[in-house]
Amino acid sequence: MTHDKQKSGQVPDNEMSGSTVARRKVLLGGLGLMGGAAAGVLGMTPAVSAASNLPPNIPEWTRVLGSGVLTNPYGQPSPFESNVQRRTVDWLTPDRVASISFTPLADLKGIITPSGLVFERYHAGIPEVDPHQHRLMIHGMVDRPISLTMSDLMRFPSTSRIAFLECPANGGMEWRGAQMDGVQFTHGMLACCEWTGVLLSTLLAEVGVAKQASWILAEGADGAHMSRSIPMEKAMDDALIVYAQNGEALRPEQGYPVRLINPGWEGNTCVKWLRRLEVGDQPWYQREETSKYTDLMPDGNAREFTFVQECNSVITSPAPEKPLKHGKGKYWVEGLAWSGRGRIKHVDVSYDGGVTFREAKITSIVLPRALTRFGIELDWDGSPMLLQSRAVDETGYVQPTYQQLRDVRGTNSIYHKNAIHTWKVFPTGEVANVQLS
Amino acid sequence: MCNFRNLFAGLVLTFISSSILAEGRAGYYGYGKPATPTEIAGWDIDIRADGQGLPPGSGSVEDGEVIYEAKCAECHGSFGEGVGQFPVLAGGTGTLNAQRPLKTVGSYWAHTSTLWDYIRRAMPFMQPESLESDEVYALVAYVLYLNDLVDYDYVMTQDNFTDIQLANREHFVPDPRPDVHNTRCMENCKNAEDIKIVSIVRRPEPAPAEIAVAAESKPHAGEKIYNQYCVICHKAGVAGAPKKGDAKEWNTRLEAGMAVVTEHALKGYTGKSGVMPAKGGFMQLTDEEVRQAVQYLVEPNK
Repeated sequence: MTHDKQKSGQVPDNEMSGSTVARRKVLLGGLGLMGGAAAGVLGMTPAVSAASNLPPNIPEWTRVLGSGVLTNPYGQPSPFESNVQRRTVDWLTPDRVASISFTPLADLKGIITPSGLVFERYHAGIPEVDPHQHRLMIHGMVDRPISLTMSDLMRFPSTSRIAFLECPANGGMEWRGAQMDGVQFTHGMLACCEWTGVLLSTLLAEVGVAKQASWILAEGADGAHMSRSIPMEKAMDDALIVYAQNGEALRPEQGYPVRLINPGWEGNTCVKWLRRLEVGDQPWYQREETSKYTDLMPDGNAREFTFVQECNSVITSPAPEKPLKHGKGKYWVEGLAWSGRGRIKHVDVSYDGGVTFREAKITSIVLPRALTRFGIELDWDGSPMLLQSRAVDETGYVQPTYQQLRDVRGTNSIYHKNAIHTWKVFPTGEVANVQLS
Repeated sequence: MCNFRNLFAGLVLTFISSSILAEGRAGYYGYGKPATPTEIAGWDIDIRADGQGLPPGSGSVEDGEVIYEAKCAECHGSFGEGVGQFPVLAGGTGTLNAQRPLKTVGSYWAHTSTLWDYIRRAMPFMQPESLESDEVYALVAYVLYLNDLVDYDYVMTQDNFTDIQLANREHFVPDPRPDVHNTRCMENCKNAEDIKIVSIVRRPEPAPAEIAVAAESKPHAGEKIYNQYCVICHKAGVAGAPKKGDAKEWNTRLEAGMAVVTEHALKGYTGKSGVMPAKGGFMQLTDEEVRQAVQYLVEPNK
């Protein structure tokens, strides 16, 4: 735990009076005890010692030396942020080995998701892959089947791009009605990172792809050998063989040492712990592209190879986790928008359940197939509100309503739910997840 | 790509490319090594809908039943009905356009090859890629039998594999999206009077007392191990495993003493209700980790 490291490194070896050290120990020891709920507790009932840290008093931490370099050789967030965590919903899956956890969207800023908070999805747990013994094999309808070590892979020209990653089941629990009690769970199978690696097209040129080739099977080195068929057009367009995320090696949860990223497409196609790419002339109809990740329609037909994540948005503050805490007055309402088809063009916000919309400001850099942050000033009069956001992408596609989605797709398609989402704000400032007629 | 003809062709091609053409035809960068046919054969486990990739072999429904009962039924149920939340394999025919569709191999899957491929690549859940080809053939045959698609005397081989057509294969359609069209209305987009809340989920407000308790109680040392390993069987009660929090079941076992329960977890045990493999099959766990997990597991739920 972070706290322990801080404690062990807290005391410089000289120049501290015994009483100061003792006080620091009490303060930090107390924090350690409070563990996961430290921020919450402090937020609700300030500790007695905290008052003495307020003006005009000089805070404790200002009158002592802080801990030195290498207290944390790999830095960690402040213990006061320990509430910002991935969380799971245990009833969704039979175990935690083939399961999912959610990104804490309400607590994040900007458009980049810290690597340790990116949602997790495994089909057989996180394999502990030794990068020295890992190989990426490319074979099938190619002139020169090759086997690459990680250092081979890193010799190829490298490229970086920021792209969102979203599970196609994001929000899938809400097709029939509001079910989850926070934005972490309604929209948290979502993240956005800078991904660095080699364009798949570069590797395909290297091995020489046969003219008739039209699909590629991507397969992981985990126990599930997670596998998906990828069309050649995507492979030659922007698919990236990724070994770094937000400037450092991929996290084990994200496919260390190497994964596929298909910008704008279903997260499931972005195969982690990538070990094999086979080039062929038809799709393989793997389990994760027939039994799962196909969209069942009301007539009993199912859509297959539904790759694109369509335009979507959600307000992350206020949200059930971020109520309006200051009564009437001005608030900055903000959220995230994204589209697998390109850039976000507009985001409109409604306070009255979709009767009236006004255009929000885009407050981040706008990149294709990346999260985009928006915000708008609200002058709240304390009356109940039905907050909505509606994104429009550069193709002109407008994020649909639940009714529009259900009219076409019913309620059993599980995947690709990108409806306009509604938060009800009560006069108390409390926020609830609702669906409207 | 494992049948002999393809393997032979692959051998010849690779021989040519590596011995005669390698120097002249290396890629632009020339990084890495040629993947040898042996290396490829070891990893190339995929089966295509047309049967490409199937290894030689065969398996009967009768053999499949024995293997299924030993290695699959604990999660999928003896009749493919699924235990707890583990996948249902059989039944559901005619439900795909119903209010609550039941998607199984028989009712939903499009290709027998997917079943063969997936069993080999990922099953049994705790021992992926541990089955011999003939076992996979037998299990595929048995799952088809559970779905009334073949008779009990059926034997599947690589030659008759493509004769079996799953009923739902004609009901998969290409992606027609964008299929839903909204317009960017800014004012009077609907009547305020028509807006009704049809469903709502409020966040439970934690009482301050609960927060204090949560803050002070340290997580159990065995909790992480339990959640990562033991939960697979002990949450749903797979293979007769006593569920976490089932005081009645645990008390019966604890009558013999904690030492005995721990010993069974470490060394494995076969009892009246089921089988506990040594360390749950996760031999990478240390004895101490197993002890901690057992302590956590037998605690009554709070």
